[in-house]
Amino acid sequence: MATNPMHQFSVHRIGPEIKIAGIDISFTNASLFMVISAVAICLFLSLGTKQKNLIPNKMQLLSEILYNFIAKMISDTAGSKAKPYFPFIFSLFVFVLFCNMVGMLPYSFTVTSHIIVTLILAIFIFIAVTIIGFIKHGFGYLKLFVPSGVPTLLLPLITIIEIISYLSRPVSLSVRLFANMMAGHTMLKVFGGFVISLGLLGGWLPLSFSVALTGLEILVAFLQAYVFAILTCIYLNDALNLHH
Amino acid sequence: MEEKEDFKTRLKIAKSKLKSSSSSSSRETGSLMGSAFKIGTELVAAVAVGTIIGFILDTWFDTKPWLIIIFFFIGSAAGMLNVIRTAKRMQKEN
Repeated sequence: MATNPMHQFSVHRIGPEIKIAGIDISFTNASLFMVISAVAICLFLSLGTKQKNLIPNKMQLLSEILYNFIAKMISDTAGSKAKPYFPFIFSLFVFVLFCNMVGMLPYSFTVTSHIIVTLILAIFIFIAVTIIGFIKHGFGYLKLFVPSGVPTLLLPLITIIEIISYLSRPVSLSVRLFANMMAGHTMLKVFGGFVISLGLLGGWLPLSFSVALTGLEILVAFLQAYVFAILTCIYLNDALNLHH
Repeated sequence: MEEKEDFKTRLKIAKSKLKSSSSSSSRETGSLMGSAFKIGTELVAAVAVGTIIGFILDTWFDTKPWLIIIFFFIGSAAGMLNVIRTAKRMQKEN
C-alpha cells in the first residue's frame, strides 16, 4: 500500500454516507482538504488585515504583497476594465495556490490533482467569461469566431476551427493544472519508494532527488496557480476588449 | 509633523517607481518548463475537443466514422492555431 504511488490520490469517505436524490454528497478527504485550504486562507487574510498599521508587520506585508501581485497582474493582462473582477480572480488564485501548497505537506491530500476539481473550476470560468462577453457585446461577441480578412470560401472552415479552439480553453486550462500536480506528486512518491527499497546503502541518491523535487514541486505549485489565474485574465481580456 | 512630510516624499518616490515599472512591462514569465508545458496542453486539448465533438456528431447523425476523422483534422488545425497564438503572446510578453 505504501509503495503504490497512486494510493495518495484515492478519495475516501469521512463520517456517515450522505445521499440526496441518489447523488452521493458524503464528506470525503478531498472536501476536508478544501475546507482546510479555505480556513487557512481566511485565517491568513484576517490575520494580515487585523492591524492596519502604516508600517506593516509581517502578516500584513504578506497579504499586501499578495494583493498587489494580483492587482498588477490583472491591470497588465486585462486592462483597467477588468477591475470589477478582481475579487473573483483573487479568490481563484489564492484558492488554487493554497490547495497546491497544502498538498505539499506530508500526509495531506492534493485537491487539485483531481481532474474533476480543476475541470469544474475551468468550466465555471469558461461559462462566466462567455456570459460576460455576451453581456458586454451582445451578439457582437460571436465576431470572435469570425476573424476579419478571411476569404469567404474559407470562412466556414475557419469558424469551425475558431469554435473548437474556443471550446478547448477549459480543457487545456484544467488539464494543465491537474497533470502538473499529479505528475509531481507521483514522482515524489516514486522516489520516496526508491529510498525505502534501496535501504541504507543506496537510498541516499533518491533521497537527495526527493529533496530537490520537493523544492521544484513548491515552485510548480505556485507557478500553476499563477498560470491558472493569468489565463483567466487573458480570457477575460478577450471577452472585455473584443479583438483578435 | 516632520515624519508625515517624510512619509509623503517616500510615497511619491514609491508611486513614481510603480509607474515606471508598469510602463516598461519587464514582467517575469516564470520558468521555461512552464511555458513549454503550456504549449503542449494547448495543442493536445484542441485535438481532444475536436475528436470528442466529431464522436458526438457521429453518434447523432449515424455517420461513423466520417465526422470523427474530419473533426480530428479540424481539431488539429485548431490546436496549431492555439499554439501559434500562445507563442505570439509569449513573444509579446518578452
